Amino acid sequence: MMRGSLLPRCSNSIFPPPPNSNRLRPPFLKRLPAPTAASSGAQSRLTFSQNYRTAPNRLRSSVSESQWKQDREMATGDEQQDPRIAGISSAIRVIPNFPKPGIMFQDITTMLLDTKAFKDTIDLFVERYRDKNISVVAGVEARGFIFGPPIALAIGAKFVPMRKPNKLPGEVISEEYSLEYGTDKMEMHVGAVEAGERALVIDDLIATGGTLCAAVKLLERVGVNVVECACVIELLGLKGRERLGDRPLFVLVNAT
Amino acid sequence: MFAAENGLKGDPRLQGISEAIRVVPHFPKPGIMFQDITTLLLDHKAFKDTVDIFVDRYRDMDISVVAGVEARGFMFGPAIALAIGAKFVPLRKPRKLPGKVISEAYELEYGTDCLEMHVGAVERGERAIVIDDLVATGGTLSAAIRLLERSEAEVVECACVIGLREVKGQCRLNGKPLYILVEPRQIENCC
Repeated sequence: MMRGSLLPRCSNSIFPPPPNSNRLRPPFLKRLPAPTAASSGAQSRLTFSQNYRTAPNRLRSSVSESQWKQDREMATGDEQQDPRIAGISSAIRVIPNFPKPGIMFQDITTMLLDTKAFKDTIDLFVERYRDKNISVVAGVEARGFIFGPPIALAIGAKFVPMRKPNKLPGEVISEEYSLEYGTDKMEMHVGAVEAGERALVIDDLIATGGTLCAAVKLLERVGVNVVECACVIELLGLKGRERLGDRPLFVLVNAT
Repeated sequence: MFAAENGLKGDPRLQGISEAIRVVPHFPKPGIMFQDITTLLLDHKAFKDTVDIFVDRYRDMDISVVAGVEARGFMFGPAIALAIGAKFVPLRKPRKLPGKVISEAYELEYGTDCLEMHVGAVERGERAIVIDDLVATGGTLSAAIRLLERSEAEVVECACVIGLREVKGQCRLNGKPLYILVEPRQIENCC
């Protein structure tokens, strides 16, 4: 069952929530402006966890700890957050200008190296979704494949990979979605899920919401009830939540 | 090399795992009988058994790194890593990992490909296993072993759900032991 300390404003039920109850950040929190390409050039915006045990001098933040913590606000945004969130957030590394200039890439691979943070991440999702009659965890290629299966195993659900074109053998259904330039396609196996099943969609991060939306649509097309989308990180300011419409979204950490 | 010869002879879980794997003929090209593990992932018991067998084997072997090969190694590796208290290190196709990486090229039937790992993900002396869904020629796994060894980790074993004919009889890859749960299914014994 979900704890009040994690999401004080979210109902414990994941049946359709009242409007705005899934907005995890209280509106009074000040949001720092996203760094521009110019400002991220000389000054390192790399954030680094003290928990990161390897290669100690490789990546060191040159901005103050309080500043980078403000950039990555906790999903709950207030003093009631689950104590595990801070460790998870600080284990995520930011790589500037990847994959192209101006993008501050949220790198979860450092969190996978922190056994406590990774376990806590999975536990937070499992605690939320166990006993909710979820029979399908759909994970978006490729980082959704890292989080989805442990959650599926723990809650007794099947794991369904949502893949780039031509990776899944056999019969598939596809959903096209738009990118910044052009389109891409996501595929799911025919017969992987049945109408009426209750599903989660998992990815490491939601930005514009294009990929998640495509995954949701694939499942909805075959009559699955997508109960919630779940991500470790939400990148604020890119309207991902809006793109999902009234479909619930649960995230652990916000980033700007 | 095969689990059945390595203490799991007659283990009923192996049969369930094998039967949950689907064969898709002529994918990705004519003549290839593709061993599709996605049907295993839909069978909660078989999937759990698969992970449990690996976890039981590695939990007391002081493994601190589980390296998984993109993308199907990502479906098995993290659950094993979490259960044995190890880190999970993704080994990826080129240009997917942000930041500093090391790369290792390996041969394909036509041409070459590359596998990458983050600099600093593993430390000298760490004991590692490599996970993938299937081993065929062993090219990808060999590249994975080289990446870990270049970072001075010790590769204790390579673990795969399925092992193809070419590898049968070889108990080692690059001198490293291979641990495989099942052989490929034939189309005749597949439902």
